Amino acid sequence: MQNPFDDFRNHRTREREIPLDSIIQSRDRVMSQITKGYEKLLEEEVKELVWLVQYNTVIKAYTLAEKVVKEFEYKAEDIEEFCYELDSTDKIPYLITGPAGIYISALCNYAQEEEIILKLNDLKTQINLLGYRLPVGKKVAVEGNLGDFTGIGMEGGELVVEGNAKNYTGAGMKSGIVRISKNIGLHTGEWMMGGEIFVGGRVRGLGKIVDGKVYEDDKVIYPRNYRQSNAYY
Amino acid sequence: MTQDHYREKIRGIHDFIKENLYFNRPDLEIKGETFNSALILSLLTGLNRGKELIIGEPGLGKTTSAEYVGSLLYRIPIGLIWGSEVSGHPEQTEEKIIGRPDLGKLNRGTEEVVWSHFAQIPVKIVDEINRLPETKQSMILDGVDRGNWEYLNEMIINEEYCLFATANYQDRGTNTIIAPMIDRFDVVVESRHPGPNIAYLVGKFNEKDRILRNSKAEKSLQKIFKSKLSYQTKLRQMEEICDGYGEFLKKKLGIETVGLQDRKAIHAKISRLELDLDANAFTRMLLAELSFCYKYGQKRSIENCEEGCHFTGYLCHDLRNCASNRLPTSIKTYSQALAWLIGDAEVGVEHIKAVMPYTLAHRMQWKEEYLSNKEKEKRDNPFQIYLAKDAVRGVFNRYGEQSEHLKNALAVGYRVFKGEDLEPVDGDHPVYFEIKKDLGMEG
Repeated sequence: MQNPFDDFRNHRTREREIPLDSIIQSRDRVMSQITKGYEKLLEEEVKELVWLVQYNTVIKAYTLAEKVVKEFEYKAEDIEEFCYELDSTDKIPYLITGPAGIYISALCNYAQEEEIILKLNDLKTQINLLGYRLPVGKKVAVEGNLGDFTGIGMEGGELVVEGNAKNYTGAGMKSGIVRISKNIGLHTGEWMMGGEIFVGGRVRGLGKIVDGKVYEDDKVIYPRNYRQSNAYY
Repeated sequence: MTQDHYREKIRGIHDFIKENLYFNRPDLEIKGETFNSALILSLLTGLNRGKELIIGEPGLGKTTSAEYVGSLLYRIPIGLIWGSEVSGHPEQTEEKIIGRPDLGKLNRGTEEVVWSHFAQIPVKIVDEINRLPETKQSMILDGVDRGNWEYLNEMIINEEYCLFATANYQDRGTNTIIAPMIDRFDVVVESRHPGPNIAYLVGKFNEKDRILRNSKAEKSLQKIFKSKLSYQTKLRQMEEICDGYGEFLKKKLGIETVGLQDRKAIHAKISRLELDLDANAFTRMLLAELSFCYKYGQKRSIENCEEGCHFTGYLCHDLRNCASNRLPTSIKTYSQALAWLIGDAEVGVEHIKAVMPYTLAHRMQWKEEYLSNKEKEKRDNPFQIYLAKDAVRGVFNRYGEQSEHLKNALAVGYRVFKGEDLEPVDGDHPVYFEIKKDLGMEG
């Protein structure tokens, strides 16, 4: 039988480019760069798939992350998309919440936008260390729960979390504001040198705070002395 | 003579009729040019050797427009066309339409057929076809379709012919046109009211059809038709007289017409015009919507769509019947003729889009609920043509969204058909399922 598609034998495929296609392509390109950067960080930092939050490790990882994220351009919404990419383990080989948090913090700190909104309600994993070294003038607003070491080493700026955070929130922060709408865990403000932590819900325990203020439901709970460090209440 | 010369002559005929004989408003636009649909489609029918059904209110020029086009395009004096018309009425017989026995010879024991003018003339007009009873419509099916006219044991075959049939809107005296007959018409068009101002002009020129009369040529042609010569000989002799009538038209009216050889050259050129890939793919997409059924393998008028079918957004869901194989031929030939007349080197989507509603309107049988929903919508066309235009617009929008994807699917289809190990392209339209079926895969 005659080939019923004979008229199309010389047709060369040329998909019409619609604006959405180019947007998707551009997003794909950016996402690929962000992902590669993260993989590079992992190669350097997580050779044995074990990563401990130690002072030197965090600094080293952040230094590398800073270097990587400066190499490409991205937008605030790309950071949120990367969080979800991380969550789908088939696309990115390892989700290790420590380096991931450091890397996302670096992305936030070097983003062009002053305010970054991350809608992470649907994230299956809670990211640690988010807000690390958040500089003055930056605001990161997160919808959803975060893990340990939220807002550590903050240098200024404002970190707003519409949800819960775990232990060591605001640890080592020097300045800035952390607002958590719900509850936070133990060791809150450990080695905190300045800044303020506002908690809408309950604070399970305070850490060894050097300076700064912690509020629970608009009431100052540090520097007042009626709560003992690591006291459960 | 070059195609440009032919085109010039045909455009001259069109303009002459438009300016002097058939006054109406333009209602069809293609590539910036406007035409009256009834006139242009009649002209294309003549060039194409096609079949056209002209509908409309009584007295709005359905028959006369066909007569003018037939007379000027085929160089036949209008008086002979009048004398060859078949009028639809309940008492019509095969003997009046096709032919009758030569009674003198029959008395002497010889069977010989006296062919009707209608069977012999290349321009056939059936006036008020829907007044022919349904049983009598069946009599002319084969002749209408192939130009084969049989009576007793004799047959004549029209090599070159076109058919115009007119139909009034339904009243007490009309019958329905039977489905096999309606499908044989390539196009349906309405001869519209021209509006009061142009209608006033029509009234000013009472004698306008007289200018196409030529008694001498009419008598000579009638004599040939009545003679006992073979049909081929009659056609040859007829052509000589028709050429003379062409000269008469040129001298009297200053209009240049075309002879048999010219028409053959034009027809050959028209049928060689290729459809570009968009026109091709768009037509396939439309045909897929008119014939597809996911549940039952193809559209059938006896089967109903399943509740909750995925393909409710396509024409197959709103139609009762399946497209016939005559439809793609009608679309192709009329769009080719239109492209030729405009002077385009190939047939594009514009040409297809322009003629498609007229090739579809009479062939689509819509579901009752669809008709009820659409009936009261504001429109400027008869309901059938309005629905067809609306349907074509819908398919064209869908084509616009996925033209490259569909062409790609068809190109991949070509390669898979040839034996290459490729995956056919998927898509959310019946046409992609049909491509898979043609590749021997389950659609």
